[in-house]
Amino acid sequence: MDIHVKNLVFSYPHSSLTVLQGINLYIPSGQFVAVIGQSGCGKSTLLRLLAGLLRPTHGEIHLNGTEAHPHANTPTLAWMGQSPALLPWLTAYQNVAMALRFLRNGNPPLMSPAEALSRVGLAAYAHEYPHRLSGGMQQRVALARLLVQGAPVWLMDEPFAALDELTREHLSNTLLDLWLWLHPTIIWVTHHIYEAVRLADRILVLSPRPAQIVEDIPVVLPRPRDENHPGFNAYVTQLRKALFATNLQGGLTYAGHDDE
Amino acid sequence: MRGTTTSSRYITWGFVIGTLAAWETGVYFWDIPVYLLPPPTLILRTLVQNAPVYLQSSLVTFGEALLGLCVGTSIGVFIAVLVTFWPTLEHGVMSLAILIKSTPLVAIAPLLTIWLGFGWQPKVVITALVTFFPVLINVLVGLQTIDSGLLDLFRSWRASRWELLWHLRLPHSLPYIFAALKVSTPLALIGAIVAEWTGASGGLGRLMWLAYTNLNLPHLFAAIFILAAAGIALYRLTTQVERRLAFWYLSSQ
Repeated sequence: MDIHVKNLVFSYPHSSLTVLQGINLYIPSGQFVAVIGQSGCGKSTLLRLLAGLLRPTHGEIHLNGTEAHPHANTPTLAWMGQSPALLPWLTAYQNVAMALRFLRNGNPPLMSPAEALSRVGLAAYAHEYPHRLSGGMQQRVALARLLVQGAPVWLMDEPFAALDELTREHLSNTLLDLWLWLHPTIIWVTHHIYEAVRLADRILVLSPRPAQIVEDIPVVLPRPRDENHPGFNAYVTQLRKALFATNLQGGLTYAGHDDE
Repeated sequence: MRGTTTSSRYITWGFVIGTLAAWETGVYFWDIPVYLLPPPTLILRTLVQNAPVYLQSSLVTFGEALLGLCVGTSIGVFIAVLVTFWPTLEHGVMSLAILIKSTPLVAIAPLLTIWLGFGWQPKVVITALVTFFPVLINVLVGLQTIDSGLLDLFRSWRASRWELLWHLRLPHSLPYIFAALKVSTPLALIGAIVAEWTGASGGLGRLMWLAYTNLNLPHLFAAIFILAAAGIALYRLTTQVERRLAFWYLSSQ
């Protein structure tokens, strides 16, 4: 499913601050897109607009050529946030199964909760409650819940940001495996340069408020990617420079509103 | 009351028995007349000798208290849900609730007895009036303090407000309901007793009132003993049910 964003503008009601200023973006079906930018630059806002959690002030979002409505009951977009957001009174299995309640199209689900859990390596923990699981495992349950929805678009808002380095690497490998298997369109907000280069097909660099796309970098490196590859480091350097430039530019306008 | 160890249980019983023993000794030592303070052994004997009367009266009072508690809890939860759905109602509804809450029980109880008679009805109303408020306040917090990550998730699923209530808000308020019940179950007993005190055809409150007017302190204390035991038992019951239903909350502490 492709995504076409046309002249997207967003500002909060009763606020003179423009968060997003004229975003134009085309994402072809199955692309893995990382959105990178400094804290509070509005990258989460962009993702929330795509998810229908916020309504755009101006502009349109088209999914497969038709305009997306925030209240449409279409299971086309699956959301994953920074916290695992598990229901503490349900087991891992029940948490994953909860997502299936909200698939209203009547089609049989792509896979069972049990299969989704085993895909993320949690088959043995299906009947544990979240408080018994580590932070990384909780985020894996959230990943299984994302997976079970069978959505063609995955919107991920810094899903691994709260995890330690090693756990984050394991989880991003799992995510990569899932993407290679199902090829959903992924829009993935991060502030981690290495991770973006390691995973994404394409990296968008956002400037701070009002957020604009200042760089649109296709990553053409063979997979699996090697961090010691000279090409890898070239991308890292390019991203560093781009982010540093937005930081200088944003230093004057940044109002301290942090939506992340 | 969580995780009561064997040793802390011994300490509790030791404390209870020690207090009763000191009381008994004190009464004999200072030769306190029975119309001022009867010794515990006499109170217990009174209880045993009049067991059928106390049992029957207790059933009346506890029945009123529990029914009132159920009604009050339901009303509290209902109003909390209403206010969560229509936040514009909050100010008006809360003002009214505080008005009802701050009117003295002893002022309303006789009125209700005049309006509704000497039966169980005014007792249930009074008990409901004193128990709905803690439930309302706590459940309101439980319904409204939902983690923003969870709200985002349910909104991404386009959950309706009813689905949000049923799958997210109500289960999340369960620990808050239990926190409220720990306050409101003893209040329910007090409510029923006070209501009976102002005029009743049965119940522990009526027994107490009769005992009081006749200066029959062994009977008065017997009823107090029953109420104390019932209060503890109800509190225990609440924590037991809480452990079953809100286990995730207790074990994540």
